[in-house]
Amino acid sequence: MPESALPASLLQADPHARLAAQLKAQRRRRERWRNALAYAVLVVIALIMLYPFYWTFITSFEPTGNIYEAKLWPEGFTLRNYTEMFQGTTVPFWRLVLNSVVICVLGVTLSTTLATLAAYPLAKMRFPGRDLVFYAILVLMVLPNEAGLIVNFITTIKLGLLQQTNPVADTVRQYLAVVLPGAASIVGLFLLRQAYLNVPLELIEAARIDGARELTIWRRVMLPLAMPTIAAFAILEFVAYWNSFLWARIMLPDKNMLPLSAGLLELSGTFSTNSRAVMAGAVITVLPILVVFLLGQRYFMKGLEGAVKG
Amino acid sequence: MTTIRRRPSRREQHRLGGTGARVTARNTLVAYAFMLPFLILLVLYHTWPVLFGTYLAFTKYNIIQPPQWVGLDNFRELFADEQFWAGLRNSLKYILVVPVIQVIAILVALLVNRPLKGIGFFRTAYYVPVVTSFAVVGLIWNWMYQQGGPVNTVLGALGLPRDGSLLNNPATALYAVMFVTLWKGIGYYMVLYLAGLQSISPELEEAATIDGASRAQVFWHITLPGLRPTILVCSLLSTISAIKVFEEIYVMTQGGPAGSTYSALFYTYSRAFLDYKYGLAAAGGIIIAVISVLFGLINFRLTRGGRVDA
Repeated sequence: MPESALPASLLQADPHARLAAQLKAQRRRRERWRNALAYAVLVVIALIMLYPFYWTFITSFEPTGNIYEAKLWPEGFTLRNYTEMFQGTTVPFWRLVLNSVVICVLGVTLSTTLATLAAYPLAKMRFPGRDLVFYAILVLMVLPNEAGLIVNFITTIKLGLLQQTNPVADTVRQYLAVVLPGAASIVGLFLLRQAYLNVPLELIEAARIDGARELTIWRRVMLPLAMPTIAAFAILEFVAYWNSFLWARIMLPDKNMLPLSAGLLELSGTFSTNSRAVMAGAVITVLPILVVFLLGQRYFMKGLEGAVKG
Repeated sequence: MTTIRRRPSRREQHRLGGTGARVTARNTLVAYAFMLPFLILLVLYHTWPVLFGTYLAFTKYNIIQPPQWVGLDNFRELFADEQFWAGLRNSLKYILVVPVIQVIAILVALLVNRPLKGIGFFRTAYYVPVVTSFAVVGLIWNWMYQQGGPVNTVLGALGLPRDGSLLNNPATALYAVMFVTLWKGIGYYMVLYLAGLQSISPELEEAATIDGASRAQVFWHITLPGLRPTILVCSLLSTISAIKVFEEIYVMTQGGPAGSTYSALFYTYSRAFLDYKYGLAAAGGIIIAVISVLFGLINFRLTRGGRVDA
């Protein structure tokens, strides 16, 4: 701004000032071009990333017509596909939603509780075998766990989690069968240990001298101070549990017990005649994740970066 | 000589675990009590699968009868099976995704690292596929690829052949699935590279610019070397997940058409859950694990010993 704001008389008098003004303008022009180009590329990538979602979204509202056609606007509007989903004539929709909610609540609670507890001694206590435990966990993280699916399946059966005795107990056991394999999160342990390490030891010592028990210190000192990390981890876990489908689908014989995304796959396999209803189901499955992700985005990214840097 | 007592550093403090917590039987007990629930699940679902899976690889096992030791029979059967080799070839082909996804992710990260207005929107948009379940992503792309669908429309506009779904053509199915992996993964690596970019000191880049370095020179000699640790982590992660590719294939093609998208892990999955040959599947799992570790090491050498920055 300053150069071009100079009085015209001065600009004409001083060739250097004129040159400077010209260069400045040239640079601004180039910068503007560069930004325009950047925006163009950004928009193209955003279209590639978002169009599939948008296309599914608008198609799910269409009553009839060529379903797979590329389009920008829906041809007609109806809620029929959604009511079909909600009525649960083909899949027990509300039951699947309930399953997903129970699995998420159980999974997130369990994995955050376990990790916040287990990370405390590893970060702030002194006991024989601490380093051994820590490195053993570290090795497990590096070791690829390919046989996991197969052996976990066998373990689940041997633990009797798929047994059938009475409906209530069966339901509880099957939820546990879905949740337990992921409940001990090594990544979570790392994130929280890292967060605890930053808590000043003086605080803990003071509490110990005052005669506080370790559980009290954990609850009153560690948890509040590690809250941002805990929130990040809880969001990561929510997304993971909400999105999980493979394990549940492989393991659960009872289709009424599946979480939503696994049920959706089931639906698309058995009920391919009305793809639009499945699309409505896909939209419903994605929505909670988008809401949680957008609300907790800052924490989410933080957790993700921490998980890698850990 | 007087001994000077320094205040112990953070690290030392951590090692000592605080003066309040001496190593006593009681404190040790408390520490393990904190970790116990986590450790039980960790051993059950992480350690046990590694051990038992390795043992299973040398046995014949169908869950009902106890495992029967058969030595190397499973491996012999595996190596004689053309389907296994086909799966392995596809898994190795899948590594093609790695360099493409890394280059694109770095470019996108550079793009969204610019201080442009509304850049937060683009970052979020690119991340949406990452937080979406494979179940939903697979279904959406299955629809997108359908005859007359958006993908074919784009192919047609580019003057490319567009007969039927790319997923139904054995020549293109694997690449079509790869594209989905690419599309879903870019946002994830973008965030990691963004974190990497932000850890490079801006003074360094400024100093180089003042010394007359061009944008390209700054990128090659300062930005890229600064990103080296991130590149290592990211390419390691994506190589290992390429070799273990499963969920995309499970949702989109189930290994078809004509076995053209069979991956190594999909092969072991089929042997276990369709043929109930758990021993054979475990042997396949071990081979995938060994290959992952090998590629991990190669990757490590390439990104450290090799000159990424040159």
